[in-house]
Amino acid sequence: MLLAKIALGFCGTVAAAGAYTFHEGVMRVDEDHFDGRHVHVWVPAAIVPIAMHVVPSRHLSHAAAQAGPWLPTLRALTKELRKYPDAELVEIEDGNQYVRVRTRNGKLLIDVNEPGETVHVACPLAMIEDVSRQLEAQAPGV
Amino acid sequence: MRLETSRLIEKAALSIAASFFASVMLLPSAANAQASPPASSSQTVLASSHDRWLHVRVTNPGRNEESVRVNVPLELAEKVLPTINKDRLHSGRVRFDDIDCHGVDLRALLDAVRTSKDGEFVTVQSKDSDVRVAKRNGTLFVHVFEKNRPKKSEVEVKVPMRVVDALFSAGKGELDLVAGLRALSLQGDTELVSVKDEENTVRVWLDSTNVED
Repeated sequence: MLLAKIALGFCGTVAAAGAYTFHEGVMRVDEDHFDGRHVHVWVPAAIVPIAMHVVPSRHLSHAAAQAGPWLPTLRALTKELRKYPDAELVEIEDGNQYVRVRTRNGKLLIDVNEPGETVHVACPLAMIEDVSRQLEAQAPGV
Repeated sequence: MRLETSRLIEKAALSIAASFFASVMLLPSAANAQASPPASSSQTVLASSHDRWLHVRVTNPGRNEESVRVNVPLELAEKVLPTINKDRLHSGRVRFDDIDCHGVDLRALLDAVRTSKDGEFVTVQSKDSDVRVAKRNGTLFVHVFEKNRPKKSEVEVKVPMRVVDALFSAGKGELDLVAGLRALSLQGDTELVSVKDEENTVRVWLDSTNVED
């Protein structure tokens, strides 16, 4: 009976941790190259802002300095986009190249198709806002 | 009796634990459902009536090789523009004092247009092109028809005078884009720009939906 209770507690903890980890969705990057190279990254969105706390501050400061001028724009953009229903924001077709930027269920989706390369990015807007806010805090003079 | 009581307590504890985990698992999806609007199977979600969307569409009817579709909520543009500080654009205003206007005082010209009565201000008809600038019911119309050179094209621009006023409200040498967008958002559904030539069609229009056509 004790073992059952321990197992129940363990499963419960795992379930609760899993639920918390995935409650903001998943950031997803899929890249498929013509030469057979594939990159697939799936990261729970809730982890990204937390992981930024353990990144050495010099790296964060460097990233923040690079992106600095655009961080307020990024934060304002994601904050505003969250207020709107799903929308197709940009769609460009040029011969065999195709770019599409849209929002769906609180995520920013970017699809790029061109000969030899396909990229799909899905990023929760809340996560982008969190990350830009944290980077802004690191960026001098922003 | 003690055994039954202990089993009852275990069952109750198990039920409470199960309910807790079930609610923890379900809460995020419920919260997401509340936070985000309902998903739709297609792009037919309508924005709320007060949302104004600016649409840009570039098509290539003859060849179908390229097309551009842009849909931007005006309020979003109003909030985002002031955060961009690059080159001539600062705090939602764009400087144009150092742009060569060929000696034309744009502000004086617009003042003259604004204060004059409705009518046709410019009509040029030549072998190559026809140009018409007119004001009617508080809207400025510009119509350019290129007959042959370099190719046949037709440009129509409709700008509400309120938007022009708002744009020039910033002061000398500056255009207040945010004020312009705010004035534009008060307009009804309207087509602002239409360009048609032998290869491309460009349309810029304003409405309350986040979908095109």
